[in-house]
Amino acid sequence: MTENYEQNMDPTHITLMMTRRALLRDALLMVGGVATALPIDLWANSNSTPRFFDEAEFALLDEICEIIIPQTDTPGARGAGVPAALDSLIRDWASAEHQREFGVLLKEFDAKAIAAGGKALLQLSPQQRIDVIAAYDAEHFSKPPYSILKNLVLRLYYSSEIGATQELRYEHVPGAWEPAIKVTPETRAWASPGPI
Amino acid sequence: MFDAIVVGSGMSGGWAAKELTERGLKTLVIERGRHVEHRVDYKDSLMPWQLPMAGAVPEGEVERDYPVQSKGGSMSTATQQFWVKDSEHPYSYPPDKPFYWIRGYHLGGRSIMWGRQSYRLSELDFSANAKDGHGSDWPIRYSDIAPWYDHVERFAGISGSAENLEQLPDGQFLPAMALTPAELDFKKKVEDKFSGRRVIPGRCAHLTTSRKQDAELGRAPCQYRALCDRGCAFGAYFSSLSATLPAAKRTGNLTVVTDSIAHSVIYDPKTKRATGVRVIDANTKQGKTYHAKVVFLCASTIPTAQILLNSVSAALPNGLANRSDAVGRYLMDHNMASVIAFYPGFEDLYHRGRRPNGFYIPRYRNVSEPAKFLRGFGFQGLVMRVNWQLQSKFQPGIGAALKAKLRKPGPWLLLLAGFGEMLPNPGNRVTLHPTRKDRWGLPIVHIDCGRGDNERQMMEQVVEDATAMAAAAGARVLLANKGDGSVGLGIHEMGTAHMGRDPAKSVLNQYGQAHDVPNLFISDGAAMASSGAQNPSLTYMALSARAAHYAVEFLRSGVI
Repeated sequence: MTENYEQNMDPTHITLMMTRRALLRDALLMVGGVATALPIDLWANSNSTPRFFDEAEFALLDEICEIIIPQTDTPGARGAGVPAALDSLIRDWASAEHQREFGVLLKEFDAKAIAAGGKALLQLSPQQRIDVIAAYDAEHFSKPPYSILKNLVLRLYYSSEIGATQELRYEHVPGAWEPAIKVTPETRAWASPGPI
Repeated sequence: MFDAIVVGSGMSGGWAAKELTERGLKTLVIERGRHVEHRVDYKDSLMPWQLPMAGAVPEGEVERDYPVQSKGGSMSTATQQFWVKDSEHPYSYPPDKPFYWIRGYHLGGRSIMWGRQSYRLSELDFSANAKDGHGSDWPIRYSDIAPWYDHVERFAGISGSAENLEQLPDGQFLPAMALTPAELDFKKKVEDKFSGRRVIPGRCAHLTTSRKQDAELGRAPCQYRALCDRGCAFGAYFSSLSATLPAAKRTGNLTVVTDSIAHSVIYDPKTKRATGVRVIDANTKQGKTYHAKVVFLCASTIPTAQILLNSVSAALPNGLANRSDAVGRYLMDHNMASVIAFYPGFEDLYHRGRRPNGFYIPRYRNVSEPAKFLRGFGFQGLVMRVNWQLQSKFQPGIGAALKAKLRKPGPWLLLLAGFGEMLPNPGNRVTLHPTRKDRWGLPIVHIDCGRGDNERQMMEQVVEDATAMAAAAGARVLLANKGDGSVGLGIHEMGTAHMGRDPAKSVLNQYGQAHDVPNLFISDGAAMASSGAQNPSLTYMALSARAAHYAVEFLRSGVI
């Protein structure tokens, strides 16, 4: 139990993991119906107007989210509602300092796009956009504020219902501990139940 | 008028309440924090996509209200309700000696928040002070407490394996949680290469089988959700709310008051007895007194000292039970250092379910191997496959390729976290701040506690040994961390009203009874004369049950 994630992960706090809904419902009924839902504030806003960034900034953020996690045989960040959730998170979670840095970062993506292709990111071809972000990622993947923004995109995607249950697998109440199961071509990583 | 008052409802207070009420004593439990309703108030039913802010507490709120608590390791919007707001509960420390004090003020205390690792101390630990001269000799030995370990383990439910180790006695175990294939491989390689080192399943306070006695209390076996930090609606892990308080309640002898902050113990200088406890209503700030024949302080290590030091009177200007001037002194914690490494192989295997536990490497320094320092350390650890959370951190990547990579189980990761004993040192001390008061008018505590050379050398050795064991298993070390030198984040504070043989040097006798005040008992971490390297909660449970037993004996025989 200590300072940061890497520094001192209590074994009980490394949670690597996942659900079968029917089992969950049964289990919760067994213990007396505690499945009271809280307001799902972050995702409820998915289809409405962005609240933190303006329209142009949000369009750019939306594209970057989808470039980081695109639609494949499962929905990507956009399909999972990540861009709007991220906008909400930056408004409601991020410090004023991070809010400012994320704003600057969006401008920097456009600056890189202009340097590489002579146009703002959204004016480039889809492949050019990917190339610009890939180059930026290669250089900045471990440097804030980009590393923080990227981590938020991944966290929101893999903790969304689509990300956790269609892309990965999630069991809220596994009911058993099986220390060794066989990996098959169909095996997916377990989604995590929370941020810790 | 009650027969007994127990201040605090956490790990120790819950046990004291259970044992006292089951022996027929009308018992009042005083809790400073709010009521928490088992199951109803937990957020363990929330899916990942239902967590407010995707689980993240807003940065501005953390900075304003939780600058210390957020260092505790597992704060999220699903667990936020269990941490105190630092902004509402100030304390101080010297600028060059940070002490990070992690707290939960609510019914059940930190028994809802704990790591649930449960280990016995051994004869080696109970004789350590006598052997090297640091601190006071424990007035008990292992044989005195062994039956009480049996007693609390049978009720709490401790999962583990019998290993026949002198430095880590076996207990009354429920079935152990299995190790992963990579952990079994690590076990073999470590035990082959380092004679005397053992890698064993972690011992944890989780039900791993169905028992009638647990079902009667509404407890069900562990579902392997690893949502423990949110509170467990199954009651699968031991807490005051899942186990001891319900057991106390069914006797009909329990009264609980919440939102009641203990101000001081009332003392009658004529009889030299405690007669009750003064409390302040946390909401109205009104004072109130409760009276009883016997008082248990189980407020947790630092507040228990705070209450004693604040129990001043003309007769006792230095506070209650403090003839020795030991109250507040000898504060200890466990220091930690850790290594993380990528573990090779086993690509064809994965695990299912979230085991809320890992493995344990019992102490071997100054047991089977020599050391440059006194005492020793144990390791908690695990080897499990990581998912996107760590896999995405160390390499660049975006797009379909990243998504395809994160879809698959990541590499196996070895974690070794060493927990090292701190020597009892009278200079590591809790005092009342001379001027600052909290919003209820109580003097805040000043905590002056730091590491010495012995602790620093021990942490060097932790990292060296962990690195060597990782190397022996062919694991590639990713991070090694000796910590920042602070104290507190072991969240194992203890020692501020310790047991000892000499009334002139210690606070409590062999029963947990104050030398100076025969009807005052202390059985939380404050009672510890040394810290061992093992997670201490199980010992607090055993000390509490034992002290309650003797308190009732002494009441019945008219000694107190």
